Amino acid sequence: MIESRILKGLDLFRGGFEKAGVDYPMMRSILQIKLIMDGRRVPTIVAGGNSRKKRQTSLGLTYVEEGNSFIRSLWLYALMGLMLVPIVLYGDNYIFQMSIVFGIMMFLVMTSLISDFSSVLLDIRDKTILFTKPVNRKTINMAKLIHILIYMFFVTGTLAAPSLIAGLVDHGVLFFLIFLVETILMDVLIVVLTAVLYFFVLKFFDGEKLKDMINYVQIALSIAITIGYQLVSRLFNLVNLTGHFQPKWWHIFLPPLWFGSPFETLLHGTRQSHYLIFTMLVIVVPVLMLFIYIRMMPAFERNLQKLSDQSVRAGRAGGRLTDLIAKWVSGSREEETFFRFAAKMMSTERDFKLKVYPTLGFSIIFPFIFFFLDFHEGGLQGIASSRMYLFIYFCALLVPTVVMMLKYSGQYKGAWIYQIAPISHTAPIYKGTLKAFLARLLIPMFILESIIFLAIFGVRILPDLLDVLLMLPLYTLISFMVLRKALPFSEAFEATQQKEAMLTIPLMLILGVFAGIHYLSTEIPYGVYIYMGLLLVLNVAGWKTVFRRTSSSQLTSGQEVDG
Amino acid sequence: MENREPVITIRDLRMKYSDRYVLNGIDLEVFKGQIIGYIGPNGAGKSTTVKIMLGLVEGYTGEVKILGTDISSGDISYKRRIGYVPEIAEVYDTLTAKEYLTFIGELYGITREAADEKARRLVDCFGLKEAYNSRISSYSKGMRQKVMIISSLLHNPDILFFDEPLSGLDANSVMVLKEILTLLAEQGKTIFYSSHIMDVVEKISSRIVLLGGGQILADGTFSELKDRSKEGSLEQIFNQLTGFNEHRQIAEAFVAAVQEA
Repeated sequence: MIESRILKGLDLFRGGFEKAGVDYPMMRSILQIKLIMDGRRVPTIVAGGNSRKKRQTSLGLTYVEEGNSFIRSLWLYALMGLMLVPIVLYGDNYIFQMSIVFGIMMFLVMTSLISDFSSVLLDIRDKTILFTKPVNRKTINMAKLIHILIYMFFVTGTLAAPSLIAGLVDHGVLFFLIFLVETILMDVLIVVLTAVLYFFVLKFFDGEKLKDMINYVQIALSIAITIGYQLVSRLFNLVNLTGHFQPKWWHIFLPPLWFGSPFETLLHGTRQSHYLIFTMLVIVVPVLMLFIYIRMMPAFERNLQKLSDQSVRAGRAGGRLTDLIAKWVSGSREEETFFRFAAKMMSTERDFKLKVYPTLGFSIIFPFIFFFLDFHEGGLQGIASSRMYLFIYFCALLVPTVVMMLKYSGQYKGAWIYQIAPISHTAPIYKGTLKAFLARLLIPMFILESIIFLAIFGVRILPDLLDVLLMLPLYTLISFMVLRKALPFSEAFEATQQKEAMLTIPLMLILGVFAGIHYLSTEIPYGVYIYMGLLLVLNVAGWKTVFRRTSSSQLTSGQEVDG
Repeated sequence: MENREPVITIRDLRMKYSDRYVLNGIDLEVFKGQIIGYIGPNGAGKSTTVKIMLGLVEGYTGEVKILGTDISSGDISYKRRIGYVPEIAEVYDTLTAKEYLTFIGELYGITREAADEKARRLVDCFGLKEAYNSRISSYSKGMRQKVMIISSLLHNPDILFFDEPLSGLDANSVMVLKEILTLLAEQGKTIFYSSHIMDVVEKISSRIVLLGGGQILADGTFSELKDRSKEGSLEQIFNQLTGFNEHRQIAEAFVAAVQEA
């Protein structure tokens, strides 16, 4: 087991800990338990996959599976670490290369620390469970710190290892040593920065705000990784790595540049004052921050209490717009109820946001990635006069995925309410939920996208955008028909099925068909308007009939496949 | 009883959150073998008192001595002789009962093997044998509560702090636990028992301390309290002493609201 190997390694430092007044055996058992628990969490970075295999007993209880899901997630970091290698090997322009390397590493390590390790930093159960036991505070705090450091060791280790080796081979031992020491300093800086960030958020806001913030960082991480894959190959075109770099005073606010500087001063013998100052900052700031952190630890623990406080706050005055839209688009009172319920769930349920919002962000950016591909050929002018606005269809790629996700929720157990409420048929439930998805997620995103497209292509594409706008509800409906139907928010995310996810691929092809028809319609006079009329008719007919077919189905728990 | 050394001594205990006093001068002496029913309305300061004694809450004024140790002295060895069941069953629920209980045992300074052996026997008594190697996250509320109770007794403590220990337990388990408490008290353990269920408090407590507005409103055996307030049940005494007599009006307003269209 990996846990016991980590702890054996730690045993080497036993004497040091005991000198510092730490009860070592106690700290060791706390760490052991924490590491076991880590192994059973699913990190954000692999949360999409179905990595959990559970064995059920007759009692319906879950047995522990072997293996550590955290360690298993490390290969993804190793993969990203490999992407850094070409940057390290590119040449001798260290300030550029290494600032980029450290920039990427800092971003990845910090986001992964926030998204996956916040639960450790912020675990309030520690207080009731550990503080009531005869264990001194120093031991508990040290266990917490070591726990975070073990995590950092693995993440930065796998992330930096490929570039470290490449650096050793290509640039020599001194380069390797500078790189290694700086990586450690970077870790210290990041741990303290994150803790300080939490400290201030907790000081001025309440725990819910912090949980929201962590949620958004998780979303940002998912978006960044997806887009990162797309952009990394183009990175070298965007930045001129061979150009001469002239440091400016305001570069002092860019920590990655600090980390690039020692390579210049120590390896190239650059004596420019900017580089010397940056090199000093690399050492001074992390060490200084560490002292501040140790000082702040007790105050931090006190603020942590806020996480468990149930603050009774009056609900925000907002939601009027949702109410208005709900009334306007709903056919019945039941439908209106489920519209509002689904809209609320989509905007507040953290697990749902974590799964769906990255796709949303990706959909906004996706159409533009293709512009980049063609950018250098015709320039902006060339794009504006083309029919490339049809790339806006790419922003509907998320529809099948989200329609599939609407079944799931982190709080799926609350779905018992469907069973006991006197709801005669499911049609208003599905209708309301899909309309809420259109009105609260898809169409706002499409409008945002349209504004950018109008700015690039001009008002001439307005009828085409209207076509796409009409296509969205129809496409949503088709996705709903094809995919397995289950009551909204009624199943656990872990129940996501591979087979069903495969169904989204033919659905994406259908989107291509829509785009194809649209393209052809631009070839014939008034074609765009004929297409528009066609979509309108299909929408009205579709939304009228599809639910009639499903409404006869019994209101069953989400487990059954119908339709 | 009074000529013996008290197990818990609290003198003029005050605690202020922001600008409101939650505890407003508590004086209390608790002796060996007593089962204290520590009752009071929501927000009376029950949990705060218990949390101060466990060292979870700091910033109080006054003196708290447990087993002769002033708890503000920084000497935490007294915690070795305390068992605690918190009101909300906070537990590392990705662990199995075996892992969790042996871990808690270790924190109390018991070896892993001894803790496992003892936990196994206690779990067996509570009928959780099947679930011992399953994750706590898959447990029902009552099963979790049993794990909490076992975790508070693994190290054979002298003082027990039980905050709503019966929540989620079925009627049979409640009977077992009540019997356990009585037997433990007979063996000289002190039990500090907070609950909102007055019937149980009335039956098992050898002494009842009623808290209201951060102060002790009444302190004595059930019969003493009954003599003093001339009411029949502890529930009625509770209502009378906390000055609550509008239950009828509130219930009527509630039902009226239910029946409105």
